[in-house]
Amino acid sequence: MATDNQNKSSYRVYLFVFFSVLLLLMTLWIVWDDEFGLRPWKKYQKEFKSLKHAQLQKEYDKAQSDFRKSGDAQTLARLEAQLKKAKDLFNSSDVQQKYKKLSGQWADIHESAARNQKELQTNRGQYLETEYYFTKTQKPEYKKKMDELQKRIDAITAKGVALQKQEESLKAALVPFTSGIADIEAEIEKLKSPLEEKKERIGTSDKVPVEIRQVYISDVDKADRCQSCHIGIDGSKQISAKQPFTRHPASFVFLKNHDPEKFGCTFCHRGQGRATTSVKKAHGNVKHWDEPMLEGDMTQTSCLKCHGDVKHLRGAEYIAQSTELIKKYGCYSCHKIPGYDAIGDVGPVLTEVGTKVNYSWAVNWLLDPKNYFATARMPKFFFTQDEAESIADYLFSMSGTTRHDVDYSTETPDEKLVEQGRSLWSQARCNLCHITNGKGGNNVKVYAPDLSKVGSKVSKEWLFRWIKDPNAYFPGTKMPRFRFTDEEIKALVEYIVSEYTDDEAAPKYTTPLEIKAESIKKGKDLIVKYGCYGCHKLQGMESMGQIAPSLVTQGITFLKADEMREKIGTELSSIGSKPVDMLDFGKLKKSISNDRLSYIKQKLRDPRGYRLGLRMPNFRLTESEINGLAAVLYGYTDNSVPSRFMVPSRQELDKMAGVQSYKFSGDFAKIIEDVKCTNCHSIKGIGADYAPDLTLAGSKLQESWIRNFLANPDVIRPLLQQMPRLGLSSGNAPAKVTMPRFNLGVQKVEDTNRSDIDVILNYFQQELVSTDIPKDIPVITTISLEEQIAKGKELYDQKGCRSCHQLGTDGGALGPNLSNVGNRLKPGFIFRHLENARKFKPDIVEPDYGFSERERIYLTNYLMTLKLNAK
Amino acid sequence: MNPFIEIITQPDNIAIVIMIIMVTFFTLWAFQQAFDNDKLIAAGKPVDGENEGLVDTFKPLVRIELIIALVVMVFLTFWSIVVDAPLEEIANPTLTPNPAKAPWYFLGLQELLVYFDPWLAGVVLPTLIIVGLIAIPYIDINPRGNGYYSFEERKFAIVTFSFGFFILWLLLIVIGVFFRGPGWLWYWPWQEWDHSRVVFEPTRDLSNVIGIDSRSLPGFIIGAIVVNGYLVAGMVAPYRYLKKKMPDFLKQFGMIRYLVTTFLFITMMSIPVKMVLWLVFHIKYIWITPWFNV
Repeated sequence: MATDNQNKSSYRVYLFVFFSVLLLLMTLWIVWDDEFGLRPWKKYQKEFKSLKHAQLQKEYDKAQSDFRKSGDAQTLARLEAQLKKAKDLFNSSDVQQKYKKLSGQWADIHESAARNQKELQTNRGQYLETEYYFTKTQKPEYKKKMDELQKRIDAITAKGVALQKQEESLKAALVPFTSGIADIEAEIEKLKSPLEEKKERIGTSDKVPVEIRQVYISDVDKADRCQSCHIGIDGSKQISAKQPFTRHPASFVFLKNHDPEKFGCTFCHRGQGRATTSVKKAHGNVKHWDEPMLEGDMTQTSCLKCHGDVKHLRGAEYIAQSTELIKKYGCYSCHKIPGYDAIGDVGPVLTEVGTKVNYSWAVNWLLDPKNYFATARMPKFFFTQDEAESIADYLFSMSGTTRHDVDYSTETPDEKLVEQGRSLWSQARCNLCHITNGKGGNNVKVYAPDLSKVGSKVSKEWLFRWIKDPNAYFPGTKMPRFRFTDEEIKALVEYIVSEYTDDEAAPKYTTPLEIKAESIKKGKDLIVKYGCYGCHKLQGMESMGQIAPSLVTQGITFLKADEMREKIGTELSSIGSKPVDMLDFGKLKKSISNDRLSYIKQKLRDPRGYRLGLRMPNFRLTESEINGLAAVLYGYTDNSVPSRFMVPSRQELDKMAGVQSYKFSGDFAKIIEDVKCTNCHSIKGIGADYAPDLTLAGSKLQESWIRNFLANPDVIRPLLQQMPRLGLSSGNAPAKVTMPRFNLGVQKVEDTNRSDIDVILNYFQQELVSTDIPKDIPVITTISLEEQIAKGKELYDQKGCRSCHQLGTDGGALGPNLSNVGNRLKPGFIFRHLENARKFKPDIVEPDYGFSERERIYLTNYLMTLKLNAK
Repeated sequence: MNPFIEIITQPDNIAIVIMIIMVTFFTLWAFQQAFDNDKLIAAGKPVDGENEGLVDTFKPLVRIELIIALVVMVFLTFWSIVVDAPLEEIANPTLTPNPAKAPWYFLGLQELLVYFDPWLAGVVLPTLIIVGLIAIPYIDINPRGNGYYSFEERKFAIVTFSFGFFILWLLLIVIGVFFRGPGWLWYWPWQEWDHSRVVFEPTRDLSNVIGIDSRSLPGFIIGAIVVNGYLVAGMVAPYRYLKKKMPDFLKQFGMIRYLVTTFLFITMMSIPVKMVLWLVFHIKYIWITPWFNV
């Protein structure tokens, strides 16, 4: 029994020892883990330091070898020899004796001057004391003492001055002994200092401590420790191209404007800025962290947080381009999106669509718009044929019968008319906006419909009425009124219908003889359910527009405009920060990654895929469009941004300042509404940037030229200007297009007897001018005009203007053709433009040559002679 | 993944899985020994540990405890290095997690909230549990079963404790961890959690069953009678039984011990009683008072 106990207890001792050692090892493991395992940034910082050390060392070595090669080393050796010589000379007994004697004298005088100074101070003190007693007691003895003291002070001062002079002269006498040495030393210092500096930098960089680097931005309560690993991110030089040591790409845009000390990193890049224990955690790629890090172009989504307008923002090109997609597809028609308020303006008016299109076309279009043309913007709603017919029934029943100007049932087609129409078609440059058979449509901002098969879609009667006055059918359309005569319109209609008809498409769906009330009701319900009124104007639905989602399930309830709360779709103003828990992945919960970005992308890819009963139609976006739209939506967050970060857009600033946005006035406004100049031109910030900005047209262009141009538009800038700015329809080659002929000047403006050209010119002269541009240029009287012109021509050749500008057939095509510039531009504008071209057009490519005023006058005078004779 | 497997493999639920395995193992082991000993006692043979008299605490006990403490510390250290504390999503004041579960060791109490007034489930019952555990050494006057396991000699103590600990504490924890989903609804392990699930289970108060408003005075009186009747009957009935069958024991036990024991016991038993009332008869409260509901 006893031995058994002993055995047991010795076996327990082994257990005890074993587990004690194990516990010790665990403790050591804890220490290691705490020091290294959980602090991976230490390793990175050390590696960075050694990389930086190597780089600086290399620089230093190079500088040293350069120093040797460049002959500076010899200079140094020579200087050092000189220094030695000078020192030897200085140390020679002869010189030393003199020097010692002189410096001894100087030291004596210096000492007595100091003593003198001290005495002066004592006396002054005594004087002040006496003066005090005198003012207090007014006793004459004090006065006497004061005078005495004053005399003494004067004497000492005089002595001091003399001593000082003596001292200075002695000092000056001493300087030549050492000045040579000092000069040589300074020169050596100058020669060596760049090297020394480089060496010192190695030392300082080695001394930088290994520690957590944190940026704390108090007003967004963000602490970013990203620079603990990305230590070279804001360095002045790239140390290594390897992550995490690289510099920030394009830091001259991003970091220069967003100081990392003030903005941190996660403000734009997201990610988990506080995490330091692993790369994965810091980049936010862990469960329950809803904000994974953004990289590459996707980071631009954060621009939307603060920048009200990203259109011309440097470094925000991707997001600016993607924002156009919101406009293109009209997402705001159904969804509430910050900055977009309009509704019912994306698609055409449908109030009288029954008079426009044929029934079969309408049903076919509703079934799938891409049946008609592949680039159709309208999404697919997945209607059944029955539903499509019901909607068509409703639309046709609402349209009524409209009076037509021409009765085509009695007209017969005429070959001659077709030919006339063809030439009108090209004169009016219809293809500038409309695509036919894959050609044209360069002005992508107006989204004009593809007309390749329009003859199978619309009726001739409607087409005639439409071309005659587009605003009558569709107020606010982008289609201009071309001021054709009725005969011309007839010709155009004949041409369009004969040329652009899909002969193979026989009507598939027959117009019902009698529209059933039941079907109309069903069609209306469908329209309301799917919110067609979001994009189209529909009769009787103009004001109700929006549905409160909570009421949708209990039948349809309309709200008046002032009761509007929600649009038909989900509000998107904070989709980019919506908690992932609140996103309904439904059926796809297990098949796609459960994060916000994947949700958005999948929704855009297959809008009704998450569960049954969803109503969003399928836009059939390309993958790149999906990525772009997702990037924009991801940027709509409700994170409060401190006001000092905000960069409001122009409109917001104007609104805050109470500035009214510019409005066209008078008859000119009527013309703008009619001819839609702002489809292509921008005037005072209104309109598109497809054609030249006309804000300063009055100061810039000559009246006679405008007249001629409007009557017969010509190519000014052959290559650049009419190219589509966005790559959205990059399939189209830039065509040599010019402004359409609007037949201006033929008709009078409504209610006036002025011709429209006069109105335009008048408005240009009155409104679109700048006091900044002089009417005339300064005159030089010292030399003749001929000489000035000759000098101007010399300058033109000398500066290489012809490499971009064309004269006749000679020269480049990047800038405007200058063959007729003397007829086109006003001299004052040329003069000012040559001084500072960027003032009028910030993104101009013209270089700044820094011309003097005289040179500008010469050039202007020369350019004004460039005229083509009017034919 | 199946929510059950997901729950089991969650790092914060490893502890409860370990608990289930350990409790089962040690309980079975203890009962095995108890039944073996019972057989020996019945055969009149001596039991290992019985009549051994006094032994040193230090050598056999403290040394073993020290080693076990080392093992546990090694294990816990290893565990805490290898498995990080599991974090959930960032707290969102506008979004309450569903289900909101207490730490696993409190889930039994949380389960009681289904059946009891929060004041009772959250304050009174936990206090009574602690008081009752403290009182055990003073109530237990049975000298047998010291130093060895035996079931026959401590039937009442073992059955009562097993019921209270295994059923009312551990089982409720297991239910809370594994069987409660969104809305604190019951989900079987093979069922998918459905956040939009709605269960309509109307419950009534006791007096409403016979058509009297439980918030009226008659309702109050009925409730008071039932609840107090349960308490009084719960104390009187065993007394009469013991007086008849085991008068010696009752005398030895004493009145105070008897009152404390029966009070604690019937309070404990009120938990299954209320569960049955709720689950089978859909009765929510028996007695509504202005201060608390029973």
